Amino acid sequence: MKFQLTDEQRALQEAVRDYLGDKWGQQQVRAFYDGDDETGIPEGLWKAIGEQGWLAVMVPEEHDGIGLGLLDAAVIARAFGAATVPGPWLGTVLAGEAIRLAGSPDQQAKWLPRIAAGEVKGAVALLEPGTQDKPAARASNGALSGDLGLVEYAAQADLLVVSADDGLYLVEPSAAAVTPHTALDRTVRLATVVLDGAAAEKLENGNPLPEILDRAAVLVANDLAGIARKALSDTVEYDKTRIQFGKPVGSFQAIKHDLADIHLAVTMAEHAATYAAHAQDVDAPDRQLAASIAKAKAGDTANAATSAMIQYHGGIGYTWEHDAHFYLKRAKRLEYAFGDAAQHRERIASLALA
Amino acid sequence: MDLTFSKEDEDFRSEFRSWLDTSLPQEMRTLAWWRPKSAAEQFQIRREWEAKKAEAGFCGIQWPTEYGGRGGTPTMKAIYDEEMAKANAPRTVNPLGLAFLAPTVMAIGTDEQKRDIIGPMLRTETIWCQGFSEPGAGSDLAALQLKAQDQGDHWILNGQKIWTTNAMHGDKIFTLARTGEGAKRHEGISMLLVDMNQDGVEARPLKQITGESEFGEVFYTDAVCPKTEVLGGEGNGWMTAMLLLSFERGSSAIGQYTEFKGQWDAVVDLAKKAPRGGGKAVDDPVIRQKLANSLVELECLKYHSWHVLTQTSQGKDLGYEASMTKIMWSETFRKVSDTYEAVLGASFQVDEAMGMTVEELTTLALWSRSCTIWGGSQQVQRTIVAERVLGLPR
Repeated sequence: MKFQLTDEQRALQEAVRDYLGDKWGQQQVRAFYDGDDETGIPEGLWKAIGEQGWLAVMVPEEHDGIGLGLLDAAVIARAFGAATVPGPWLGTVLAGEAIRLAGSPDQQAKWLPRIAAGEVKGAVALLEPGTQDKPAARASNGALSGDLGLVEYAAQADLLVVSADDGLYLVEPSAAAVTPHTALDRTVRLATVVLDGAAAEKLENGNPLPEILDRAAVLVANDLAGIARKALSDTVEYDKTRIQFGKPVGSFQAIKHDLADIHLAVTMAEHAATYAAHAQDVDAPDRQLAASIAKAKAGDTANAATSAMIQYHGGIGYTWEHDAHFYLKRAKRLEYAFGDAAQHRERIASLALA
Repeated sequence: MDLTFSKEDEDFRSEFRSWLDTSLPQEMRTLAWWRPKSAAEQFQIRREWEAKKAEAGFCGIQWPTEYGGRGGTPTMKAIYDEEMAKANAPRTVNPLGLAFLAPTVMAIGTDEQKRDIIGPMLRTETIWCQGFSEPGAGSDLAALQLKAQDQGDHWILNGQKIWTTNAMHGDKIFTLARTGEGAKRHEGISMLLVDMNQDGVEARPLKQITGESEFGEVFYTDAVCPKTEVLGGEGNGWMTAMLLLSFERGSSAIGQYTEFKGQWDAVVDLAKKAPRGGGKAVDDPVIRQKLANSLVELECLKYHSWHVLTQTSQGKDLGYEASMTKIMWSETFRKVSDTYEAVLGASFQVDEAMGMTVEELTTLALWSRSCTIWGGSQQVQRTIVAERVLGLPR
């Protein structure tokens, strides 16, 4: 019984944290937030993400990847959440997963090595807006139609993976009507995407949409757990030193008890996000349940932790100059990605009450 | 990540499970069998069953064999807890003795104490109570006032203890008393091992909100305690008590998970029968959210128990993280219980509902209210987590 990361996974965790601590601190996040970089992808950071192998992690070795599992990718996602990393890492990794799981050998050979190397930016539209299990588009004679809603990095991506009623498709972004929008969370770029008989290439090997949705939910849960932990630890540090009534405000029980509860919730969200990734890797009997538990718990917890971060910083936490809103806005974005907590609880009910 | 158990551990599980299959009749696993019996009868049956279990070698799982234990691993103890809960086996008659007193005696007791206390406890020849809380000393343990007057070779005790589990069945009580003066409140305290079968000690039951009397009060009126019956040395009672309470830290909570998951399953069965909004409760979206939410917490408790087990198996002391485990399992128990009440609605008030006997679930739901108080209230635990784990200032 070892419910813990392996030495290799811990080394990966350290490597990602060290790199981000060095090159992607709050100063860089802030500059990016306040800048008007239309690509939404800091060039040096994206290059490093490719070079470090953080896009190759789940790509099989035969396609120049590292051939590791979802738990390894989850380690990266969690560190990215804690550092509010911008860029299409998630969309690219999920596009790679779609091709790995459903692509023909030719499709895999064409795309996976380039995804692994960071040469291709991916975006995914996997769900009909507002649903957590319905495909995004309708297929007719190999062409796709549908209002895909908001898609992260659709305007920047080289490759779009779209789910349709009969399977998964690759779509060239130029074949879609893409309208960029300014996002609340400035570490992401959003666009609405409409397909109207868009040319598409079907991934030929089955339709693993449910598996990919679970993998997406697990990676997002890990990002949320990372956000929640960082929001909590920054708040604890601040409340140790902020003096009111002649004492650190962290000495007041009203604050202490709430932070203790949040620490407990964050710890549970971390456990759940870790287990859910492992459960997908070993195809555990409860892997669907585990994915939904992780997403529900991490979503609720990140919401609580980022709200508490603002509250327990007082007025300064409500200012643009403070980092708190980076975490709040990222948590809000991801809370509603790939099914929100209430939707996942309903799925838990349908899985467990049968 | 490896969530499997070793062959040795799995062999232990099979061995214990097959012993339970033959030694714990099915009817003994149901409330219906226990209900008609008096509290005294129930206790006696549990005591005899536990002695039988000890004779078969399923006791003191993690304790060294020299003390009559099994010399097993933390994983084996977790498996034991899990199998006991799955079988709905009778709870131990020596909960505080086994969890707290025995490991403390092994750590700092005299050779005589090791010999006289541990074996008889395992064989249930001695039932041990814990005498810590007093009417004026609950969460604030150091406010205790039980007075022990020095009489040369013995002490004379006067005062009162309260919330004493198994007070009506106890043979001996490890009790904190003031044996001397101290400049500070934590000084002048000793942990005395007092014989409860004497005229100077009187136990009175307290009726709980469940109607049962699992705990009681213990009154000392010129009770006698020989000077040899002190654990950890005279005047060292506070240190001894802190060491004793630290032994709670190794508990993985897998037993609690197993028990509460069984309760959750029973609530789901009820939800499939209970009417709500023209259909069944299980189809109501709000009830579904509640059931799912309590399952989220339950599964998180399970993951946490794996985490604790991983740490203890590697010989790490969880320290004050143990307070997190306590908060987590007791809050989860409350959430499952709240779900149960929501499913039954008004029928919650009566013993028979939907053609099912719900007394056991109702008793559990009430009992869950006590678990966020005893052993360090939720509020005390939160303060510990905030100060000792997060490092917030006092």
